[in-house]
Amino acid sequence: MRAPIGFRISNRRKSLKISQVALARLVGISPSYLNLIENNKRDVGGALLQRVALHLNIDIDDLTGQAEQKLLQDLEEAYAEPMVESLPFQPDERRQMVAQYPASAQAMARLHRAYTEAVASADAFADRLRSDPLLGQLLHQVLSGVTAVRSSAEILEEVADLDEGERGRFLASIGRETRNLGAVARNLIGHFENASASRRSVSAAREIDDLLIERTNYFPALEVAAEGMRSDVERHGKFGLEGLVAALETQFGVRVAIGGVPPSGPADFPGQYRYFPELTTMWLQGATTLATRQFQLARLYGELAAGSIIDTELAEAALESPAALRLARRALGSYLAGAMVFPYSRFLEQAEKTGYDIDQLRQVYYASYEQVAHRLVSLRRPGEEGVPFGFLRSDPAGRLTKHFPLPGLLLPYSGHACPLWAIYGAFRTPDMPVRQVVRFSDGSRYLFVARTVQRRAAAFHEPPVMASVMLACNVLHADKLVYAQGLDLGNAGADVEVGPTCRLCTRSNCASRQEEPLAPAPGRENLRTALVPNGFALGGGG
Amino acid sequence: MGGTLAFDILIAEDEPSILESLDFILRRAGWSVESVTDGEAVLERVRRELPRILVLDVMLPKRSGFDVLKQLRSEELTRVLPVLILTAKGQQQDRRIAEELGADGFVTKPYSNAEVVGAVRQLLGDNDRAA
Repeated sequence: MRAPIGFRISNRRKSLKISQVALARLVGISPSYLNLIENNKRDVGGALLQRVALHLNIDIDDLTGQAEQKLLQDLEEAYAEPMVESLPFQPDERRQMVAQYPASAQAMARLHRAYTEAVASADAFADRLRSDPLLGQLLHQVLSGVTAVRSSAEILEEVADLDEGERGRFLASIGRETRNLGAVARNLIGHFENASASRRSVSAAREIDDLLIERTNYFPALEVAAEGMRSDVERHGKFGLEGLVAALETQFGVRVAIGGVPPSGPADFPGQYRYFPELTTMWLQGATTLATRQFQLARLYGELAAGSIIDTELAEAALESPAALRLARRALGSYLAGAMVFPYSRFLEQAEKTGYDIDQLRQVYYASYEQVAHRLVSLRRPGEEGVPFGFLRSDPAGRLTKHFPLPGLLLPYSGHACPLWAIYGAFRTPDMPVRQVVRFSDGSRYLFVARTVQRRAAAFHEPPVMASVMLACNVLHADKLVYAQGLDLGNAGADVEVGPTCRLCTRSNCASRQEEPLAPAPGRENLRTALVPNGFALGGGG
Repeated sequence: MGGTLAFDILIAEDEPSILESLDFILRRAGWSVESVTDGEAVLERVRRELPRILVLDVMLPKRSGFDVLKQLRSEELTRVLPVLILTAKGQQQDRRIAEELGADGFVTKPYSNAEVVGAVRQLLGDNDRAA
């Protein structure tokens, strides 16, 4: 029941003190026709409505009432909040508020949005705390202490016939554990004091991370869509470059141009490909590999054919920031492409058969190392799971540029990881897989497999773009991988002792440490100091 | 000679205070108890003599409880040995991994003594023993 558009035009015109005749002339219609529109006896839309909005200097959404409608929806949402929904609102209160006090309505909507964001950010922090290794270690100490105290106290309370020696032992145990707990509590407090100083807001990357963790890197709706799309493409020929080019052409009228100058003129963008929607043309650089061409065309096909499915997924994900939404849309497009290029069940079967040998899988699907590694992460279909993997990509400067989480393993979102990780070692032996069994300070052990990948440069004299891609899996699953062959997985003696990043790492004796931990142990020295401490000088200085 | 059930319970726990009280309450419940304090010792001990049940802490030095469990499940002699895992509250991931690796039961720290005794009794099927 929104206020009819004619009245809005009329009100706006009158408030600007423009006559009906003058406005009619400005927008190129007769005054009598404008009169009919203003009395809601004729519909108005399209180019005419745009001209009217332009000359009345007003947003078209305000004229059509869409802005109001959106505000009303926002308010409905706010009023549905459990803590206010039982208040005795008038039946039409929201609508009246929007109509009569639009600014207050907006204030309410904004406050509600800020509130939801704050709640989300608190949740994100809770998640973050759970995956903080130092905190995990301290909590473990707390739980051990509490367990010992509780158990000993129960014995003292409930066992009537304890002898003196036994009684003494359990009392001593309670005393010892309580003193330990006191020390742990002081450590914890120190940790929070440090952590609160470096508080950050929920970043886009973290939002997407939450989404991926929640869905365990697996999107059933996209898998179903991809399966259907692959068959559609196969109707135009064998799945691959030719089939995709033909399907894009016949189904969407999209032309694929490979090589030469982009259709928009010399490239003013980085990257090897681009879609020009206004020209319905997909351009790929001449130096792109077949794997890139196949994957990017599949991605374009997916985004064109299954846009609404991506929209639904995004709506369900309820991402907060526009940046997160943009990145998530991109990620889901790539997911679709991966699911098309590597059909789930067949790919899983081949992966299991080859011991997750990425180079073998590449050959089967004409795909790149990174594309295969990426797809392996998504093999989480309930009842048909592959080995659970986490995924990281780094540029040669060590910056992390892509990330798929593995529950239990703390992979940094951005910035740098631990310098000891294979993801960096791989740069020293390009194109060769590097494997590594690592142990974190909480005792958890993982197999890391990393390898460099290279994007083709446009011309021979341009530097190639290098990156390193790493898969991580719990060492308990590692015996299924070809990459663990010859390793004694049960023997932790040769583990590389690592952390997540220096800031979150508790190892005090690590030669690779570059930054102080967030919560240094009490009394520990700072990282970089002079050899001779302040106040210690030889000779008769005073 | 392997395969004989020489004693009832083997406890693998590295925290001395917890081990002391566990040892006490399980003995008091009428079982014979032995203990080890690291992962490798568990494997050595069960290969020599098989207990009726293993009470296994997840966080052990040398070899983790998971590692021990995985190894036990891969050996003929210990494939069906009942294993009760001690996990810490809030560590859902630990519990999931232990389940995947074939643990028979769980007790979450901090526990009450009665919980441990109950869980052991259930796995042993000893309903007739006095607490």
